[in-house]
Amino acid sequence: MDIFSNLWLGASTAFLPMNLLYGFVGCLLGTAIGVLPGLGPTATIAMLLPITFGLPPESALIMLAGIFYGAQYGGSTTAILINLPGESSSVVTAIDGYQMARNGRAGPALATAALGSFFAGTVATILLAVAAPPLAAVALNFGPAEYFSLMVLGLVASVALASGSLVKAMAMIVFGLILGTVGTDVESGTPRYVFDIPELYDGLNFVAVSMGIFGICEILRNLENEQERSVGVKRVTGLMLTKEDFKRVCGPVLRGTALGSFLGILPGGGAMLASFAAYAMEKRVSPNRAEFGKGAIEGVAAPESANNAGAQTSFIPMLTLGIPGNPVMALMVGAMILQGITPGPNVISDEPKLFWGMIVSMWSGNLMLVILNLPLIGLWVRMLTVPYHLLFPAIVGFCCIGAYSINNSVFDVFVMAGFSVIGFALSKLRFEPAPLLLGFILGPMLEENLRRAMLISQGDPTTFLRSPLSLSLLIFAGLVLALVLSPSISRKREEAFTE
Amino acid sequence: MLKIRNGRDFVGGMSMICIGLLFIWFGRELEAGNSFQMGPGYFPRMLSLLLIVLGALIMVQSIIVQAEESEPDTWNWMAYALVIFAPVGFGLLLARLGLAPTMFVLIVGVAAASRYANWRHSILLGLFLSVCSVLLFTRLLSLPVSAFGPWIPFLGNV
Repeated sequence: MDIFSNLWLGASTAFLPMNLLYGFVGCLLGTAIGVLPGLGPTATIAMLLPITFGLPPESALIMLAGIFYGAQYGGSTTAILINLPGESSSVVTAIDGYQMARNGRAGPALATAALGSFFAGTVATILLAVAAPPLAAVALNFGPAEYFSLMVLGLVASVALASGSLVKAMAMIVFGLILGTVGTDVESGTPRYVFDIPELYDGLNFVAVSMGIFGICEILRNLENEQERSVGVKRVTGLMLTKEDFKRVCGPVLRGTALGSFLGILPGGGAMLASFAAYAMEKRVSPNRAEFGKGAIEGVAAPESANNAGAQTSFIPMLTLGIPGNPVMALMVGAMILQGITPGPNVISDEPKLFWGMIVSMWSGNLMLVILNLPLIGLWVRMLTVPYHLLFPAIVGFCCIGAYSINNSVFDVFVMAGFSVIGFALSKLRFEPAPLLLGFILGPMLEENLRRAMLISQGDPTTFLRSPLSLSLLIFAGLVLALVLSPSISRKREEAFTE
Repeated sequence: MLKIRNGRDFVGGMSMICIGLLFIWFGRELEAGNSFQMGPGYFPRMLSLLLIVLGALIMVQSIIVQAEESEPDTWNWMAYALVIFAPVGFGLLLARLGLAPTMFVLIVGVAAASRYANWRHSILLGLFLSVCSVLLFTRLLSLPVSAFGPWIPFLGNV
C-alpha cells in the first residue's frame, strides 16, 4: 500500500531524535501558553518564528504545529480548573468542565479531555494522510484562474464562518490585501508604497505585523481589565475514568471527532467553530441532556474531541492547496515561505519528507501530550497562577527581540509597534484582526494569479467563468455569501455564537 | 435629519474610506495599465475602491441598524502609552546601550503599566530577563548585538 510507505517515510522523519525533541518542545510550549493567562497561539507562534529560522524546515514546522495543538490542549485545562478558557476553542468546555471540577471530578474531566483529544487527533491524522494526496493531485491541474477563484472562495468562507459583522470582516480582508501590496512589485520591479524606506522594498514583514496585531494588541486589551486569578482546585486526584464514564463518553467523542474533522477542513472553521458546534449538537442528541451545564462529562468530551480534530484537519487546505483557513495556518504558510518552500499542491511531491514527517509528528505529538499532561498536571496548576503583571513585560520583551531578529534590524520593531496601534484601533472599532492577517498573507499570491490569468486570457475577465472548475468555485463562494446574508441563517449564526 | 445609531461603526466605516483614499493618493503615480497587462497600480487601486465601497456600506449600516447594547470600554491611557512606546524605545536604545541594559529598561518600564506593579518585583524581573535574553540571544543564537553597547562605560564594546 502506498499510504503505508508514505507513513513509514513520515515516521522515519518524525521519529528522528532531533525532531522528536522539537515536537516535544513545541507541545510543552503550546500547553504552557494555553495555560498561561492572556497569551494565545497566534501571538506565540509569531513570537517564536524567528527562533525557528535556523532550524531545518521539518523541525521548524513540527515545532510550530506542536505549539498549535498543544495550546488547544492547555486551554482546556484552564477551562476546567478555573472556568477561564485559555483559548477561544475551550470556551464551551468551561461550562461543564468547571462544574465537574467543583463537584470534585476535576481528574476525570481532565482525563476525558486528554483521551478524547488523543482519539480525535489520531483519527484526524489518518484522515489527513488519506485525503491530502488526492486533493493535492486535483490542485496540481489548477491554472492561475482556478487558483484565483479558490483563494476568493477561501477568503469569503473564512469571513462567513467568523463571528461578527460580515461587511466589517470583508473590509478587514481587503485592508489586509492592500497591505500585502506594499513593497516591490514582482512583475514590473516598481516599488509600491515604500516612501523611500529601504526596508520596505521587501514588503512589510508578516512576523512583525502579526506580533503587533496579535501579541502586543492582546496585552493592551488585557491591561484594561486586569484581574488576578485564583484557583479553586488546588490538587487534582483520581484521574481514572470509571466504567460508567467510559460508556457515556464514547458516543460524544465519536460524534465530536466526526463533526470537528469536517468543520476543520472548511476555511475559517478550525477549532473554535468545531467545539461550539459539537457542544450544541451533543446538547440535542445526548440521553443525559438534562445534566448539561451541571457537570455532564459529555459536555467536556464532545467539544474537546471536536476542537482537536478541527485543529488537525485545518492543516489539510494549508498543506495541499497553500490556502490558510485561520491566522495560525497563515503563519504556518509564512513560515514555509521563509524556509524557502512554496506552499501549495507541490509540497507533497517536492517535499515528501516534510509533508509526511509533519503528519506523523502530529500523531506522536498528541501521544506526547497525553503522556505529558496527565502526570504533569500539578505543574500546570501551579502555572495557572503566574501573575499577569509579571508575564506581560516578558512577552513585550520577547516580541521586541523577536521582531529585531527577523532581519537584525530595528525597523521591524517599529513596524510591530505601528501595527499594535493599528490593531488596537481596529479592535476598539470592533473589527476582527484575523481576516486582516489572512488577506495580508494571501495578497501577493492573489495578485500574481489574477495578473497571470488576465494575461493568458488577454484581458478577458470571463476567463474565471469559462473554466468549469473556476466557475464552480466562484459559484460556491457566492452561495456561501448568500447563505450567510439570508436572514434566517444569520439569526441562527448569531445564536450559535452567543450560546 | 439622519440619526447615527451606531457611532462605533460610523467611525469604523469612515476610517475604511480614509484608508482607501490614502492608498489611492499615495499610489497615484503607479501605472495602472489595462486589464490585459496590469500595471503595478491596478490591483492596489482596485482594492482601495473596494475598501471605500465597503466603508460606505458600514456607514450606511450604522445609520440604519441600531447598535447592540455593550458595556462601555474602560480606557487605560497610561498602559497603552507604556506598552506601545516600549518597542519604540527598545529600537532606539538597542544599538547604543546594548541588549542587557535595554532589556532591563524595557521590562521595568513596561511593568509599570500594570495596576499590580511593584518596583521590587519589576527590577528583579528585569534583571532576570536581561540575563536570560543575553544568554539566549547573544550566546546561543548569536544575534549580531552586543550585551553592552558603546554608551555603557568600561563594559561596552564600541
